[in-house]
Amino acid sequence: MKISIMDYGVGNLHSISKGIERAGSQVRVISNPEDLLSSDCIVFPGVGAFGAAMDTLRPILPQLRERIKSGVPTIGVCLGMQILFEKSEESPGAGVAVLKGEVLKLKGPRIPQMGWNDVVSTGDALFEGVPDGTQFYFANSYVCRPAESVEIAESEYGQRFPSAVRKGNTFGVQFHPEKSGAPGLRLLSNFVRLAEGSM
Amino acid sequence: MPLTKRIIPCLDVKDGVVVKGVCFRNLKSVGDPPTLAVAYQDQGADEIVFLDVKASLAGAETLRSAVQKTAENLFIPLTVGGGIRLFNDVRLTLKAGADKTSVNTAAVQDPSLISKCANAFGSQCIVVAIDAKRVGDSWEVYTRSGTQPSGLDAIEWAKEVCDRGAGEILLTSMDADGTKMGYDIALTRTVVRAVGVPVIASGGCGTIDHVVEVLTKGEADAALAASIFHYGQHTVGEVKRILESKGVPIRKGVVA
Repeated sequence: MKISIMDYGVGNLHSISKGIERAGSQVRVISNPEDLLSSDCIVFPGVGAFGAAMDTLRPILPQLRERIKSGVPTIGVCLGMQILFEKSEESPGAGVAVLKGEVLKLKGPRIPQMGWNDVVSTGDALFEGVPDGTQFYFANSYVCRPAESVEIAESEYGQRFPSAVRKGNTFGVQFHPEKSGAPGLRLLSNFVRLAEGSM
Repeated sequence: MPLTKRIIPCLDVKDGVVVKGVCFRNLKSVGDPPTLAVAYQDQGADEIVFLDVKASLAGAETLRSAVQKTAENLFIPLTVGGGIRLFNDVRLTLKAGADKTSVNTAAVQDPSLISKCANAFGSQCIVVAIDAKRVGDSWEVYTRSGTQPSGLDAIEWAKEVCDRGAGEILLTSMDADGTKMGYDIALTRTVVRAVGVPVIASGGCGTIDHVVEVLTKGEADAALAASIFHYGQHTVGEVKRILESKGVPIRKGVVA
């Protein structure tokens, strides 16, 4: 299985690439969004801003949406999770919109939320082997508000918010598994296994 | 549950080697960055800060190569600073494997750099380092590795950098740095209360009690320390066990 990590042109893709490689999968970082349309598995990393990331994806948006909806395993990390929704307060314009709902400014004690926070999962296979209440690393100023029932984990920072979502083979995590030590690597490996199992 | 308080070992790097000195002087070598970074990760560090102390590698390929090697086996956040001047330095440092970049002198010289970088890379990538020195009842911002007074008031400057999009402040007390006599609690608390972003306290850590103090009385979100870890005085795990016993929320699940 070939996993593609979308490079929006900003930020660090090193850790997410290494994290997935450790799970035993081949990774390629792609900068031409067209290549997403032939990928077996898609990763939207968590760096940059909503508008800029969507500008990169806009030329192929209808085909990309169809491809993800058809069941190609996909995971969005942080910003990458947010772009899976319909729109964001961060920037005007549509998201990838494979999940119903929007992205709102986080109302917490100090913004950005920067650090390790508890994640309580509903027991989805993505969290297999990760004890309940394990802390993951967050660095975000926005959170998702799904308009459908997709939440598989929640956290709290001034407000409750979904820290992980899943709809079929489409996953999103608000934290950074690639920056969350051993539990994060376990989660990435669970994702790779789930993706392989769906082929 | 609030966010856990972060413990951040600092790698002060000069010519590619981790060093430690007193008040930015008399630097002694203590090891190489990738080895120390992984050792601290295994001990339960929540983050690593890599500072090129004399901007000795600034903007150069060698800095990026040192960052790349340090990031290689790191699965916790890595902040890199020291001599980062231009928008392109930030871009290349992130590309080399840093999750955040810290700017000081360049931000004082051109504050618009902060918003430019925050807009392009996201606020969470942009840490503004403030080196502050007490002058009477207030604190003045210093630049160029603590050698040059800027005339700026540290508290006002902290507010301004947040307005411009900084995602975090790395606050070093120049009076306390290297003394091992404890963090500057008054400075830390004043900045924490003045801004809405997380504040990392730095400078002066000599004992575990100092860490406890700055995270409680000082109200800091994170504590940066170097010598107590570098010289094997304490592991990160030991610091965390004491913090936990005092009721300070810390990240669990890592023992060392």
